[in-house]
Amino acid sequence: MGKPMNRTVDAPLISQIRQGNLAAKPPRVAIVGGGPGGLFTAWNLEHQADSPFELNLFEGTDRLGGKVLTPVFSTRGIRYEAGAAEFYDYTPVGEDPLRDLVESLGLHPVGLAGAGVHVLEKRIANLDDLCDTLGPDARKKMATFDNWARSAMTPREFYTSGTDGSCHAAQPGPFHQALPGPVGNGLRRYIETMIHSDLATPASKTSTAYGLQNYLMNDPAYMRLYRIAGGNEQLIRALAERISAQVRLSTRVERVVRAENGPMRLEFAGPEGPQSEAFDAVVLALPLEALKRLKFQGGELSEAMGRHIGHHDHPAHYLRVTLLTDQSPQPILGDDGYLMLDAFGGCCLYSETAIEPGARHGVLGWLIGGEAAEQMSLLNDQALVSEVLNTLPPSLAHLGGRVVESRVHRWVGAVSAVPGGWDSLPEDRRHRPAATTQPSLLIVGDYLYDSTLNGALESAEYAAGWLAAHLQSLRAGNG
Amino acid sequence: MMDRNDPQPLTAVPDPEIPAGFPSGSAIRRIDWGAQRAFDLLLVPVSEGQEAEGSSLSVLAREWATTGSGGSQVAAGCPGSVLIPLYGNHVVWSPERGAVIAEAGRLDTLAAALTEFAQCERRLRDLEQRGDSLNNRVETDAASILVAGEATDQPPRGGVQGSQLESISIRAELSKIAPLVHAPVLHPPTAASQLAERLRDRTRLAERHDLATNRADFAVQVYEACGQRAFDAKIARRQSGLEWAILVILLGQMALMLVEILSSRTGQ
Ligand SMILES: Cc1cc2nc3c(=O)[nH]c(=O)nc-3n(C[C@H](O)[C@H](O)[C@H](O)COP(=O)(O)OP(=O)(O)OC[C@H]3O[C@@H](n4cnc5c(N)ncnc54)[C@H](O)[C@@H]3O)c2cc1C
Repeated sequence: MGKPMNRTVDAPLISQIRQGNLAAKPPRVAIVGGGPGGLFTAWNLEHQADSPFELNLFEGTDRLGGKVLTPVFSTRGIRYEAGAAEFYDYTPVGEDPLRDLVESLGLHPVGLAGAGVHVLEKRIANLDDLCDTLGPDARKKMATFDNWARSAMTPREFYTSGTDGSCHAAQPGPFHQALPGPVGNGLRRYIETMIHSDLATPASKTSTAYGLQNYLMNDPAYMRLYRIAGGNEQLIRALAERISAQVRLSTRVERVVRAENGPMRLEFAGPEGPQSEAFDAVVLALPLEALKRLKFQGGELSEAMGRHIGHHDHPAHYLRVTLLTDQSPQPILGDDGYLMLDAFGGCCLYSETAIEPGARHGVLGWLIGGEAAEQMSLLNDQALVSEVLNTLPPSLAHLGGRVVESRVHRWVGAVSAVPGGWDSLPEDRRHRPAATTQPSLLIVGDYLYDSTLNGALESAEYAAGWLAAHLQSLRAGNG
Repeated sequence: MMDRNDPQPLTAVPDPEIPAGFPSGSAIRRIDWGAQRAFDLLLVPVSEGQEAEGSSLSVLAREWATTGSGGSQVAAGCPGSVLIPLYGNHVVWSPERGAVIAEAGRLDTLAAALTEFAQCERRLRDLEQRGDSLNNRVETDAASILVAGEATDQPPRGGVQGSQLESISIRAELSKIAPLVHAPVLHPPTAASQLAERLRDRTRLAERHDLATNRADFAVQVYEACGQRAFDAKIARRQSGLEWAILVILLGQMALMLVEILSSRTGQ
């Protein structure tokens, strides 16, 4: 239940009960998807709504958390991040609701940094390395590019770019056209390698604004990175413990049916077989690939949802290969929690033990993005492990012989290459694509903002705010 | 003009001081900080890609640095020595010794960054120590002015004035090093900026500086209050002297008037 009834019994409800009008039950709200987006929505709704409602949360699998998961290696019980590995901290520029939430839940953020980019078998970790590897001219061009990037998007514009659409300062069109020419091939490769694994798509397939964001996020004046001590899934556990929604695990919603002038009906398959229930409001907190698989019944509803999906359908892909080693890479990597490799079109190699000083083991995680991730997902786990081992920089090559266990997680189509779509839509249109026919059908998704957890939270806050007001108006109508 | 805290020009120290186990080409530079204090910098060139070698040398270097700084006190929360692996290079810092194990092309850049950091850290450490001893005096000084000073009506002691000047001097020195301690993170980074950021981070320079500044601010405020109190007392003393003088003059005037009246009556 969203708001436990005993907490929220109020005058109109009591008078309804007195009058024997028990048909006026509290409105029923369904959230479909038990990932961060769904949990953020439940959390925010329960905090914002001040009228009674019944909240149901449907999750298709047997666990909450979606793409935030921190499993453990079976041999040693050591954890690793299989999905979202880092949280974005915007506090250098403004308020950061996600960081506030993390801290208010009593979780401990731990800073994460890294500067190494391995290009053309050389490590470039700073301007001096860049100069040594690509020549003094590259250093100058890098400075020019950096100045251009910063003037195209200020920290403030970077901060607000998710909410008010793409950055106004950045020119339209794909990012690779925006790379100022003539940029030497080496430098271009360096920049693309630096940002590719965050983009999860080539520079030619994303917008200038999104490309710029992914370049500028390396600058601590724009943003910093952190993890949650004890694993990122702590956030999911903390939220799940605190929400009072009725959570229905292993219950996959299959169809949303529009009812004339009345509530919506959800058809779902759960442990008790296929079922259907009516709801006054429905939040679809699903990634676009899952939304595509849902069926929408009712001509206008399915058309509106078709348009929404069409606008946002820019799938990007990830693949994670994580190795547990019995030796730590820390003496080599130092404080760095990750480095970028130019293998697989640019991938991120995380050293997950960097935040555990003194660890004797190592957890090396390759985050492969984009087309390489899509193609390589077809390979079996063993082949993937040997592929990634071949990309270890010489200084870490010795760890190839120290692998104790390996894990692979495939995330094909799991994120968006063009969050927000090529043309930015007003916030209400993003969240209520069928506003005229089905006003209380809401969408929550990271792909509406920036393909990150911060975006998922921002979207959830919008939906919860709208719903809280809607529940209030329903109550006023009933009263 | 050279600041008294600026390092003197580097002077080479003869080879024999280079500890065993380091390759040929290693050198030690002594940075003379005056007052019989110095910072020894061990420079060890390694060839590119020899990260494993660099890593084992860094352990030796840390031992050497730690032994050499055995007597130096470090601030609470600051490790006695720090080893920073930096993209194939290794840097060691301890209060009196440092080492750079790097490719020849990076040695000078990293050595300069380490020296600048060591100098800043030393200045902060000195200020922390001066702040500590001042802090030990604050209470007695305050008592001597606020309590004893009131009772005995004595002017403030010269020692308290000295303490007040010391508190102001510490605060001013802390302000001077603030831009170094709180330097913003540079982007895109250089090897030197990366090293400086990590050293500052590991030795908790910013937190230490904040703490020292808070304590200095407190001392400045206390001594300001003491000064004010002493000044008030002085004014009060002067005022009461003046009141007595007026009283005496008035009495004198009245006596004169009395004499005048009496003499005029006897004259009649
Ligand atoms: C490999 C990888 C790395 C990432 N790294 C980062 C990062 O470093 N930082 C960052 O901020 N973000 C990162 N992200 C993105 C981040 O994971 C997402 O922003 C976030 O998970 C979005 O949450 P969500 O709830 O919208 O979707 P999801 O996390 O996908 O959750 C959706 C949930 O809905 C359930 N579901 C699907 N269909 C149905 C159905 N029909 N009925 C019921 N339930 C259903 C799913 O089982 C799932 O639990 C990464 C993503 C990936 C894949």
